[in-house]
Amino acid sequence: MATVTVQSLTYTYPKQDQPVLNHLSGTFPAGKFSLLTGVSGGGKSTLLKLIAGLLPNADDAITFDGHPLSSVAPTQRAATVAMLFQEPSTQFTMDTVQNELRFALENQQVPVEQIAQRSATALAFVGISDLKFRKLMQLSGGEQQKVALAIIVAMNSDVILLDEPFASIDPPTRLVLLEKLVALCTDHGKTIVLADHDLSGYQQWVDHLAVLADGQLNLLSAAETQQRFAAFTPQRLRLSHVQLPTDQLTTCLHGTQLGLAHGDRQLLTPQDLSFYAHRTTLITGPNGSGKSTLFKALVRLGHYQGHIAYRDTDIKKLRKRHYARQVGLMFQSATAQFLNVTVAEELALSQKYGNSTYFTPERVQSLLRELNLDGRDDQVLYSLSSGQQKKLQLLCMLMMTPEVLLLDEPLKGLDYASIQTVMTILTTVQRELNLTLILISHQLSGLDGLVDLHLQLADQHLTYQGVSA
Amino acid sequence: MKRWHIRDIILVTIIAIFMGVIFWAIGPVYTILAAALAPFGLQPLANELLLGIWVMAGPLAGFVIRIPGAATLGELLGAVVEMFLGGIWGASTLISGVLQGFGSELGFIFTGYKRYGWFTLAMSTLTTTIVTFAWDLIRNGYAAYHLPFLLLLFCVRLLSVFVFGGVLTKLINNLLVRAHVLKD
Amino acid sequence: MNPSLKLALITLIALEVSFVQVWTVNVVLIVVSLLLMLINRVPWRRLLLLTIVPLFFASALVWSLMLRGDASTHFLIVIFTRMFVYVYMGGWFTLTTKPLWLTRSLEQNAKLPSKFAYGFLAAFNLMPKIQAEVSTVRAAALMRGEVLHVWSPRLYFKVILAAMNWSDQLAAAMTSHGFVEGAPRTHSLTVPLVARDWWLFGGSLVLAQVGLFIGLP
Repeated sequence: MATVTVQSLTYTYPKQDQPVLNHLSGTFPAGKFSLLTGVSGGGKSTLLKLIAGLLPNADDAITFDGHPLSSVAPTQRAATVAMLFQEPSTQFTMDTVQNELRFALENQQVPVEQIAQRSATALAFVGISDLKFRKLMQLSGGEQQKVALAIIVAMNSDVILLDEPFASIDPPTRLVLLEKLVALCTDHGKTIVLADHDLSGYQQWVDHLAVLADGQLNLLSAAETQQRFAAFTPQRLRLSHVQLPTDQLTTCLHGTQLGLAHGDRQLLTPQDLSFYAHRTTLITGPNGSGKSTLFKALVRLGHYQGHIAYRDTDIKKLRKRHYARQVGLMFQSATAQFLNVTVAEELALSQKYGNSTYFTPERVQSLLRELNLDGRDDQVLYSLSSGQQKKLQLLCMLMMTPEVLLLDEPLKGLDYASIQTVMTILTTVQRELNLTLILISHQLSGLDGLVDLHLQLADQHLTYQGVSA
Repeated sequence: MKRWHIRDIILVTIIAIFMGVIFWAIGPVYTILAAALAPFGLQPLANELLLGIWVMAGPLAGFVIRIPGAATLGELLGAVVEMFLGGIWGASTLISGVLQGFGSELGFIFTGYKRYGWFTLAMSTLTTTIVTFAWDLIRNGYAAYHLPFLLLLFCVRLLSVFVFGGVLTKLINNLLVRAHVLKD
Repeated sequence: MNPSLKLALITLIALEVSFVQVWTVNVVLIVVSLLLMLINRVPWRRLLLLTIVPLFFASALVWSLMLRGDASTHFLIVIFTRMFVYVYMGGWFTLTTKPLWLTRSLEQNAKLPSKFAYGFLAAFNLMPKIQAEVSTVRAAALMRGEVLHVWSPRLYFKVILAAMNWSDQLAAAMTSHGFVEGAPRTHSLTVPLVARDWWLFGGSLVLAQVGLFIGLP
């Protein structure tokens, strides 16, 4: 059991003026499951990394039962605190599950004869003994997170930190992981701090809410936590005028026996599927069910089974250069979209090659003002906040005006005001240029005015929802 | 002087693998070029033309990871990757890798790992070309060529190394500096 | 044979045959490597590739030397066979050596600092991600109307930015999994280094020297 105490912690990233965390104090009680919440970019990751000792922090503001991490022998620090990361695939050193477990235990100088036993027990605890000999890079994101947890269990770390661990994880895996975490708390006395910006689906699992806002940490009591959960209503999808596709619609993209797989796991059972021109289609479905994989297939960035045709021509027969101008993808990660260094350069690129005359320099300027992005011409793209990056990314892709624009989580990480602005812009531009939009969004509120068609991905099958016209 | 940390080691390896991917991607170009030039006894020219891309991991790693040994390690690891992927030079790949890397490293050594600009790159281009060419005089029997042809090979190699290991590396460096991830 | 010693052996011999011109020794080395590959059941497709590729390049080089140089026939035979020595020895080595086992051996037997050994391994796992990143960057550029070539600085710029992110993430994850630079570790699998390995290593080297000595004019 270890209580994590943070005392007057201030942290500023190198090369930045404003501290992310400012004289932050708080306690994560021993043997409890705390949910650390707060807006995206508010410093949750930074706090977790500081607790885990992954960022240099000389002043010992963080203690475990009164002892700073620096007083623990280096090879035993992982037994004090360990972290499970948001990105599942970049947290392993070795090739197979077994070798990664060996690596972690060897690091702690666990005697050789105990390694096999401890590995087996940890795998059995998480329920993944069958993955022991598998190659890590061939596992799904959910399986990788389970392995990451098994390693922490094997290392027997007192404090377990998790940084948005379910961001791309399917719901059944999320449930398993939550059950295991609760068991680690109650049966093994582990202290757990899990960071997530979204409160939904945690009420029955966690003991405390810890709210991080404006660089300050506020730990709520159990009663306050339950109050907060009770007041919280998860977003509901409200689509009032969604209809089933009719014969009058024109097909722009068509999949014939289109199937998707990740490794040996089938995500989409082969099926025929049409996307319709000049409409906005929303695709919903659980995390990790294959929505982004579908988008990648549509822009020829991934493998798929069957055929995809764009306006009746197989997309593999179209010239890549030509097709990329017709069907564009707004990537889920904003930085994947950018090619230049500064905001002005990025906008200039879209201005140069955009398909439409609609985006005159004046219009772009006024859109930048609406998005609160004006006057940042010389700013380096990678120093923008994640919300600013997202808004700029959307503008750049709209300026390209492809016939079909795929939007993968265009509202991710935006605050309420920004979401309203972005939705207004999207709706206006779609109407005026008669664009075809296909979007994936977990952010469900405010979509009603935009969405015409709704595709749901469930049980490896995509089906249009709504009433017949 | 900066010491190697785990993050730098991972980064230099990723850069080496990345250059391996680039080299693999232009493999067909190389083969076609070599096949087209072979009947005229000009096959080595294909090597010389593309050598710059092959040795680029050295200066690129040297610029991105400013630690002594980065250029050598970057190039050596590139060679290891190539050998395990089944490159055509087999067991001599590692020797070439060390020599190519050391060739570009010499350029950084001359400037004491303090300056990261055109002068260092020009030095590195020159030392890389000289060291690798000396190796090919021995390994591939270049010593038996008539002098004019030998000079042609040398000049083409110098040019190729300058374009890829020099100009392109500098342009990449400029972008990274402007993005504030590297110091000027 | 111990992987580190095996690596040292083929590197030393490759270095030696690069300087010494004895074609008979080259032929012996080719035959020995070929036999070793056959004993270890090399897939015939791989053997075919290991033969055709150097055949083309060695022939082209020899042809070039004939046209553009004044090499003796003896020298041309040496150059021709030398390339097969490299490729076949390399083929035998990669066929019989797993990269992970080699890295473990380098850490345990050759005293390579563990930060290098595990840093390399961690990065090698990213091979598929690196390939995917190159495709993604090029696709992102195409959607914006630009074609990125091997000589486009922005292609490298974007991939290096991604590489910097990954190396930060991997380094943090290794620390979180208890890895400490320079700290002692236990080894659940030990790579044996026994007298037999040294005899094989020493014996092979001596044999090569004897052959080279006899073969020298």
